[in-house]
Amino acid sequence: MKNQNLNLEVHHITRVEGHGNIYVNVHEGTIEKCEWAIPEAPRFFEAMVVGRQYSELHHITSRICGICSIGHTLASLKATEAAMGVQISEQDLKLRKLALHGENLQSHILHLGFLVLPDLLGVGSVIPLTASNPKEVKTVLRLHRLANEMSNLLCGRTTHPQRLVPGGFSKIPSIKELTSVRQKLKEAVPDVQAVAGLIKSLAGKLPDFKRETEFIALTSPDEYALYDGKLGSTDTGAVPVNEYLSYTNEYIVPNSTAKRAKHARESYMVGALARLNLNYDKLSPMAKQTAEMFDLKPICYNPFMNSIAQLVEIVHSVEDTVRLIDELEASGLKSQPEYNVPKIKVKAGRGVGAVEVPRGVLFHDYTYNANGYCTKANCIIPTNQNHANIELDLQALLPKILNKPEKEIELNLEMLVRAYDPCISCSTHAIKVHFV
Amino acid sequence: MRIISKENFNQFVNSLIEDNSLNVLGVKAKGDKFAFGPLENANDLRLDYDVTLLPPKKYFFPQRETLVTYNVGQGFSAKSPSDVKPMVLIGVHPYDIVALLHMDEIFSETKSDPFYFEKRKSSIIIGVNIQKMSKWCFAPYMGSATVEYGYDLMLTDLGNRYAINIGSEKGEELLDKYAHSVQDALARDIQLVGQKRREVMMMSQQKLDFPPELIPELLSKFYGESTFWEKHSEECLACGSCVLVCPTCYCFDVKDNPDLSLERGERVRTWDGCLLEDFAKIASGENFRPTRPTRYRHRYFKKGKYLYDRFGFVSCVGCGRCSSNCLPNIANPVSLFNDMYHESQNIGVQVTTVITPEIKIQTEGNIDYVPRLATIVRKQPMTANETLFEIKLDDGSVLGHKPGQFVEVSVFGIGEAPISIASPPTKKGAFEICVRKLGNVTTKLHTLNVGDKVGIRGPFGNGFDAEFLKGKDLLFVAGGLGLAPLRSLFNYVLDNRKDYGQVSLLYGCKEPKELLFGEELLALAQRDDVDYKPTVDRCPESEVWTNNVGVITTLIPQVKFDSEKVYAVICGPPIMYKFVIADLKKRNVSDDHIIMSLERRMKCGVGKCGHCQINQVYVCKDGPVFNYAKIKGIPEAL
Amino acid sequence: MKPKVAFFDFAGCEGDQLQIANLEEDVLALLDQVEVVSFREVMKEHSDNYDIAFVEGSCTRLQDEDRLRQIRKNAKIVVAIGSCAAIGGINSLKNYKELDDVKKTVYGDSARLFDTYAARPIDAVIPVDAYVYGCPMTKEEFLSVVKSLLLGKRPDIPTYPVCVECKKNENVCAFERGQFCVGPVTRAGCDSCCVNEGTICWGCRGLIDNPNENSEKEVLIKYGLTVDDAISKFNLYYGWQERRK
Repeated sequence: MKNQNLNLEVHHITRVEGHGNIYVNVHEGTIEKCEWAIPEAPRFFEAMVVGRQYSELHHITSRICGICSIGHTLASLKATEAAMGVQISEQDLKLRKLALHGENLQSHILHLGFLVLPDLLGVGSVIPLTASNPKEVKTVLRLHRLANEMSNLLCGRTTHPQRLVPGGFSKIPSIKELTSVRQKLKEAVPDVQAVAGLIKSLAGKLPDFKRETEFIALTSPDEYALYDGKLGSTDTGAVPVNEYLSYTNEYIVPNSTAKRAKHARESYMVGALARLNLNYDKLSPMAKQTAEMFDLKPICYNPFMNSIAQLVEIVHSVEDTVRLIDELEASGLKSQPEYNVPKIKVKAGRGVGAVEVPRGVLFHDYTYNANGYCTKANCIIPTNQNHANIELDLQALLPKILNKPEKEIELNLEMLVRAYDPCISCSTHAIKVHFV
Repeated sequence: MRIISKENFNQFVNSLIEDNSLNVLGVKAKGDKFAFGPLENANDLRLDYDVTLLPPKKYFFPQRETLVTYNVGQGFSAKSPSDVKPMVLIGVHPYDIVALLHMDEIFSETKSDPFYFEKRKSSIIIGVNIQKMSKWCFAPYMGSATVEYGYDLMLTDLGNRYAINIGSEKGEELLDKYAHSVQDALARDIQLVGQKRREVMMMSQQKLDFPPELIPELLSKFYGESTFWEKHSEECLACGSCVLVCPTCYCFDVKDNPDLSLERGERVRTWDGCLLEDFAKIASGENFRPTRPTRYRHRYFKKGKYLYDRFGFVSCVGCGRCSSNCLPNIANPVSLFNDMYHESQNIGVQVTTVITPEIKIQTEGNIDYVPRLATIVRKQPMTANETLFEIKLDDGSVLGHKPGQFVEVSVFGIGEAPISIASPPTKKGAFEICVRKLGNVTTKLHTLNVGDKVGIRGPFGNGFDAEFLKGKDLLFVAGGLGLAPLRSLFNYVLDNRKDYGQVSLLYGCKEPKELLFGEELLALAQRDDVDYKPTVDRCPESEVWTNNVGVITTLIPQVKFDSEKVYAVICGPPIMYKFVIADLKKRNVSDDHIIMSLERRMKCGVGKCGHCQINQVYVCKDGPVFNYAKIKGIPEAL
Repeated sequence: MKPKVAFFDFAGCEGDQLQIANLEEDVLALLDQVEVVSFREVMKEHSDNYDIAFVEGSCTRLQDEDRLRQIRKNAKIVVAIGSCAAIGGINSLKNYKELDDVKKTVYGDSARLFDTYAARPIDAVIPVDAYVYGCPMTKEEFLSVVKSLLLGKRPDIPTYPVCVECKKNENVCAFERGQFCVGPVTRAGCDSCCVNEGTICWGCRGLIDNPNENSEKEVLIKYGLTVDDAISKFNLYYGWQERRK
């Protein structure tokens, strides 16, 4: 509308992790400002780990995020192990992949069930749904509990896992425990299908929005890359993870305590959608079917479909977990001492660990001195890498919805941010949408 | 004695494991250490172990045990013993067997603990003679390196076979049912076993420098040596490790755990330890053993003196677990006792006699952990913080208490608190308690009203000997809330006035508005057969007070009594006793004419959990009423 | 009338709030007892009318203090959940470093744009009524504190060290395994969960009220740690508590 004036400030957007702000100012039909700003209190992890021993780094950096703790811990361990030239066993590799599946399951279910579903059902939170849709809520809770059981079994606990240590695991599950989880996952498939069915029935509420951008994620010729891989891009090719800086190019913006990133374009996107766009062929059979249910295939440029990509990944994680446990059962589990401390030969070095956490590719980059104390650290968080993309998406979406009522504009902008499943305190920032 | 090859022994164990009606537990490796755990295969057994992390007592007195469940609508019920399969413990060392025998006596003294004995009675102990001794173990000195009884079967490793001593019919039947090819022992086997047992006696790497029989007497000479105890406890972390791994420790705490409904819950007991900072702390914040040296000393005294005096054994079996688990290495009884012995020589303290204590143990029935449901029938606030409750047991029975006893009052979901009974047994139908709002239970109690339900356990404690006091002159001295327990005796005396001689009551509070039982006291002032004298520490301007102003001791010179005939009965805040007693003695009242009621942190009410213990005395069981002559020698009492 | 509760977060990782989501089906039982009127992570609605405020995260900036004071004004009861809110948590690790260096390390030349001061627990700014320690807090302890508050009793938080729980769980002591542990001076209540998982106690629940720090440091050194490393262990979570002494 020609003479439209609009001032929107979403201060500390709800149903996302961390604090972020959306600022919108439209004056006489012209968009003067459409900003995504992060005012979250910075926590300075990269400085805190300097001077700490290699055996402590994973414990400290796990505290960057409560939801992607397992991912942070694994990225941290990979960086330390790369720096010290430590190889983990084939068995430990499989167990770590299982740990990552557990995290993905837990996080995606939480996001879809608690954070996105309310928007699709037109309510403010999952709380009224406990009364209006008790069956669905219980299904979500059941799946969430199972995902946590799996994480607890492999890692000790979901948030700040204890069993993940440099060189391997302090404690491993028994085959009996693993096969029990496998059985429960198989029995949970109907629940997963129910959730997929529910979201399919509501998928029409997801805006049909598209903005071409670059997608970056780990890729691998062997599998749907989560734990290992090269750093791939839909615009350019793949590079070894060590060269991540050439892709991330972090920079600072004045109104945000979060850094941003760019590569081939002004911004890029990481996360489930990026992974799906780059690894589609490696999805498990049922996961591909789920993607087909929603017509989701590469390259999808609709950020709202990130939530659907997460749903597809839930199915994939369930299937791949079953496969991994089948393999471990067939080969048998090699026992290890009860309070295991893998031997590490301490030396100076620098290592980069990259891992796909629910929200995207995460990098930890450490430098150690000869005594094993950290001298420098760099952490690039998925959500940091998404901030520029989020802002550009907001700026592209806004004109298309300006004709809607103010409440609906606000909801759509928030839904866009939520679709990214941002983890803002990770990026040591928060979002607040300010009405200017 | 029998013999079984090791192969057949393994088969025996596997047969036990296969029997699903048995819970087979054995010593297995845990990291570089050992622990008792469920046995899945005989091959996991490590009978060559030195010591387990935790003693087998964990199976009979678990770390955590539900005693009672409750439902706000329906009351309390005992946690029915879940179908617990009989346990077969394989590999118990002699010192742990001796420890269980200690625990048997401790848990049955006065009243028996049903939870402990139910498991103990149905279990089977297969012991094994020590093959390797931990470097901290000094069992040979404590007479527990080998045992003659206390087991159902006892194994001795003879290389390719085990010798088995049959200790009970149960053991014999077990062998008959599950073992094959068990033969009678030959002479050389018997000799070998004897040899092995003698070898065990020489295995200890610890060396006690004096005969262990002298330990109790030695300790009693060192109670007041503060520097000694401070020096030894300086590094104490108050971590409780020494007591938590001890096979003869049995202190416990009891807490209520509601579920999320807030309507139902359970009462759970857990291991506690006297070394922990808040062990002897009460709701008012007072801690009766606040410093590391006092707590550190208490453990040694409990093991080496108090339990010896009560039961006739030093309750330490020399397993060495406390020493090996103490990070600053201050918990080794051998080092401490040796130090003590050598210092006694240096300071010329003679310790040569062994005093055999007079043991008076009786058992009458089981401890009742389950509160009875009761209803509040009257609620009368008396001051800002104190309220009188009249309570009636729902089953219609009479409490049947003696003056001076107390009850444990349960408030659903909150917990239990010990409160003195404030009414005499002559009051029929219901009883009264005067409750000060202080901690969780008492604060919640204050929010309840007539018709609300509580749980009552008891009465507990020894109470006043009202019979003995007949014919005597009585001088009651009450400070603050101390009037409540005294009232149970005082009103009883008034109800039987002619049976008693002269009766005086001195009652002191901080300020007039804190006086309890105001109306009753006014009536009392009118009586001419009682000399009633109240006082307040101070009187604020806003209040009216025409009586004495000053601390309670200022009243003592004002009251007339015959020092030979009078019996003083005292109850009040901890600080009061010393001063009142001093003033009474100034007037020639003899020690054995002074009777007092003490307060401590009480949980079980039956002298088991350890919290109320002052030196060797349990306030809940041997008290709370004490004769000063008997208690003046007990340092922690006043 | 169900009490109204609200959740707030400051500088933290939101792990403690995730623990509430991790209550799984117990969340439903909890919602039977309380009414959630504000929980930014999970719901859009917000109200300033609440009885109990649960606060996660440390206070790391002057501007956070106003928010905290407002919460204190609105609430009858304020509960600090998680170590960051209760004792300063891992955030206080940065307090040992010169603030300017810290900012430069992370933000380079733009460091001047970001304000921050020594990370502190929320009771450094407002009076707090109850604490749920732990990094993250455990579900059991959170529920225990909530139940206590609903029943009107003081939450029962241990004043003894982790060793008590470690021994009850029959762990092999970390020191016996060649590792270094601060359990002897750390507050129990976590059921020694980290040692149970095969590692050590890192001290995340903060120091007990009267720790024998000298003894613990001597134990660490006796078992082979250097003096600097022993002190470094104390810096991990005790930053604010130590400084307050």
